[in-house]
Amino acid sequence: MNALDYLQFVLAPQVVNGLALGVAVVLVALGLTIIFGMLDVINMSHGEFYAIGAYAALALGAAGINFWFLLVLVPILMVPLGMAAERLLIRPVFDSKDRHVTTLLVTFGLALVVEDLLKVVFGPNTQRPPTPIPGATELAGIIVPNYRLFLIVVGAAIVSAVAYVVYRTRLGAMVRAAAFDRNMAASLGVPVALVYAGTFAFGVALAGLAGVLLAPIYSVFPTMGRDFILLAFTVVIVGGMGSIWGAVVAGLLLTQVQALASLVISPVWTDPIVFGTMVAFLVFRPQGLFGRLGHA
Amino acid sequence: MKTTGFLAAALGGLLAATALTSGALAQSTPIKIGVVTPLSGTYTPIGQQVRWGLELAAKEINAAGGIAGRQVNLIFEDEEANPSVAVQKAEKLFQVEKVDFLAGTVNSGSTLAVAQLAERNNKLAATTVSFADSITTDKCSPNMFRVNARAEQQSVALAAWLAKEKPNAKVYYLGPDYEMGRSTVAAFKSSAEKTGSATGGEVFAPLDSKDYTQYFGQIRATRPQVLYTSVAGNDTVRLLTQLQDFGLLTNLTVVGASGTVTSQNIGAIGAAAEGFATGVGYSPQIDSPENKKFVAAFRDATKADPDLYGADSYGLLFAYKAAVEKAGSTETDKVREALRGLTWQTPQGAKTIRAGDHQAMQPMYVVRVTKGKFDIIDSVASDKAIGPDACTRF
Amino acid sequence: MRDRLTNAMRASHVLALIFVAGALALAVIGAATGDTFYLRLGTEALIFAGLALSVDLLLGYSGALSLGQALYFGVGAYVSALTLLKVPSFWLAMLAAGGATLVASIIGGLIANRVRGVYFALITFGLAQVVSKVVYNTRELGASDGMIGIPVIDIGFGPFSVSAGNPVGFFLIVLAIIMGLYWLTAYLLDTPFGRVLTALKANEKRVPFLGYSVWRARMFSYVLAGLIAGLSGALYPMLRGFVSPELMFFATSGNAVISVILGGVGTLIGAIYGSVLLVVLKSIIGSWTEHHLIVIGLIFMICVMFLPKGLIGFIRPRLEERLSEKTPDATPLTSVSLQPGSAKP
Repeated sequence: MNALDYLQFVLAPQVVNGLALGVAVVLVALGLTIIFGMLDVINMSHGEFYAIGAYAALALGAAGINFWFLLVLVPILMVPLGMAAERLLIRPVFDSKDRHVTTLLVTFGLALVVEDLLKVVFGPNTQRPPTPIPGATELAGIIVPNYRLFLIVVGAAIVSAVAYVVYRTRLGAMVRAAAFDRNMAASLGVPVALVYAGTFAFGVALAGLAGVLLAPIYSVFPTMGRDFILLAFTVVIVGGMGSIWGAVVAGLLLTQVQALASLVISPVWTDPIVFGTMVAFLVFRPQGLFGRLGHA
Repeated sequence: MKTTGFLAAALGGLLAATALTSGALAQSTPIKIGVVTPLSGTYTPIGQQVRWGLELAAKEINAAGGIAGRQVNLIFEDEEANPSVAVQKAEKLFQVEKVDFLAGTVNSGSTLAVAQLAERNNKLAATTVSFADSITTDKCSPNMFRVNARAEQQSVALAAWLAKEKPNAKVYYLGPDYEMGRSTVAAFKSSAEKTGSATGGEVFAPLDSKDYTQYFGQIRATRPQVLYTSVAGNDTVRLLTQLQDFGLLTNLTVVGASGTVTSQNIGAIGAAAEGFATGVGYSPQIDSPENKKFVAAFRDATKADPDLYGADSYGLLFAYKAAVEKAGSTETDKVREALRGLTWQTPQGAKTIRAGDHQAMQPMYVVRVTKGKFDIIDSVASDKAIGPDACTRF
Repeated sequence: MRDRLTNAMRASHVLALIFVAGALALAVIGAATGDTFYLRLGTEALIFAGLALSVDLLLGYSGALSLGQALYFGVGAYVSALTLLKVPSFWLAMLAAGGATLVASIIGGLIANRVRGVYFALITFGLAQVVSKVVYNTRELGASDGMIGIPVIDIGFGPFSVSAGNPVGFFLIVLAIIMGLYWLTAYLLDTPFGRVLTALKANEKRVPFLGYSVWRARMFSYVLAGLIAGLSGALYPMLRGFVSPELMFFATSGNAVISVILGGVGTLIGAIYGSVLLVVLKSIIGSWTEHHLIVIGLIFMICVMFLPKGLIGFIRPRLEERLSEKTPDATPLTSVSLQPGSAKP
């Protein structure tokens, strides 16, 4: 392989493809980091909410509903689900002595149940919705499927919108206040219980949205929730819990590191490298790249 | 827990006692066949085919008077595609249910572990799915039989076809990074190189890879005519649809292992599966009266098409029936002798169990996906595909 | 005069004696009826009870949730298998497995004990994930197929010897080892040093002011837990004659956590009861549906939320009352658990 071929066929597309995968990871990690950072809850069933979103898109799409409409409908349908999960599972143990461990265990149990339920309802086989935007675009010899270009653009828009709501609106300020000091926020008139339920539901809705967007690329099957979980947790830790920009930077960086490592060293090393990064951050910079939202 | 344990133990003892006293009546009691197969977890779809195939065969055998006048009774246990669960469930079937024969294991780890357990319990077992060569070569067992085609039979057939279709093609190899993936790639590579193909390069992707696009650059730069892959299940869905999205499927012949594209994932792959070719022991398209009857009955019972796992599992019960009737007994030693060298009819054609390694010899087919169906495009006679007997234990 | 901890531990010991009595009765019935399957299933449940015991030592005493304890179970199993393939000696296999897990858990502990709480859970999870993938890919260790052909060994005690293939004999040996590990752990926790561990869970910030090293205490419990898991794992290939990488997978670690929650966190004996309970539950549910995950998941969630002290937490306070009637100054212990309703995180 000559140097020019290597650059054109291998290195350059690697960066573009890595970008699309990075956006996918950021989308999954976004809801996780919000729930983790603001509620201090480890949601082990986040991957299963992502799977529910993907299955909802698949089933509703098969029933004839347009993909563009699903992008709005599925996240809205996820909100009551998230509210119910928060009310029934998180709130009863929210004040326990060891909240991290208890919520982790409860959501771990939920993940087991949801995964099996999906199999009962939709069967064990892999399914895949049609690609909403077919075709590919060629730029200077690099081929990029149109849907991936769309994913990169939409992903950027979603992240910006979420960041705007959290950092720039009154609603976001209330959420951050409640996360920072619950009692203080309550005494200032913030409806803390509602804010917590809403935040959890928002994170769940984001997972559902990621499911709708990624189903055409990564396909849909009952155990798909486990797919992103280690990577998503790593992104949250490296980026800093609750930090939206941290998740973006960490998500994009880690997928590039993975892609280049699989090229230069060997694909087998991608997992140990991700894990090694997580350990290094936990040991040397536990607050992550950007520190923790609401606890700065 | 205590009381359950006691009750269970007491019950088990009671059952054992009744089994002893009723020995004389054995002739009219049903023949019990245990099935340890994944009914949950990643391999569920395969376990489903195994179950459907065996249930259909048992129904037909029972309707026609059973095996040597005795009805067949199937007992299913979920092995969760985990060898430690498989062994525990198999032991339950051997010890508590006193099954006469065991079938159903899918992943090769489970098959190997169950083979050892069968030896220690002096019972016979068979696999209809695992295709790792080791099961009937260096890790062969006198108590394990395999009625499906092993990896080498598949690659020989596929390589023979490839040499005719694309002589001296440059082949790129993409396998899943674990023992099975590496050995299937190695097996096909040696078959293909013998028939004149050149190797363009190879890469092994971790299991459950999300994105295969990171390997596409290397593939494009090599400019191969043929891509061989041995990924399976969801991984195939991702690999093939991503190849299609990137426009790489034009002018590229994709071939692979028999488990790469199956009836479980072909729907999800859709148009990206078009043209995929593989070497297998079965296709619903086989043009014989036996197969047409089998496919019709299978669809009738399950609303699905049989695939190689369903067909091989269906055929197994008929081998067991023939062996028991020939031996005139269900005793392990007699049935083993009867199974060795046995030739019997299946929807796939005549199969023969080679006495030296317990591997079934069978005609092999090369099938290619056309309009979502596997069309047979070539076939290899059973003795041409089988390869030497490499089992030294018996 | 005894304090509350000692009293709670004594209640656990009574339950442990009941357990042993039950197990011995099972052995007698099994021997009388010539049963093999239930005795060997019981043996397997006991082996996994050892793994659950090690999870409980971490979670129930130093408050550290390990989601990757199967790593040490697997190391013990693989080293024992490799040893038995070369030399069929029980004692040598146990020694080798113990030594290997000691080294492995010291290395693992140095990494995992840099952090705590949920980060500890994620690190242990990742650590097991990475090592199991390496084993899954290592041809010398049988890769994804695992290793078969581990011989049925004779276990010698001076002039006597019992075959691991003898269902009753091996059941009793495993029972003795697992209960021995239980009593050893309980004894160590009752020493002044063990009390530091309990203090860690109650209030980690105060421990250094009392003059104890938090790190040393956490490290000690981590290595002890690893050793218990490894020694239990070493028994697995003797029972089943093979090892496979699935022994290290998350499903194995997850089952141990479920066992501890079912039985009762921080009771030690609860882990053992929980493990047996899980095996019984799985075999009952498994006989009428393949969707056992739904049922196990629901039971697990209910236990976490409403029965934070599990089965034993339900029984033990009654037992403690009986015991404390003799020592009026002792009150039932309630603080060592995942209990809702007590203070901020």
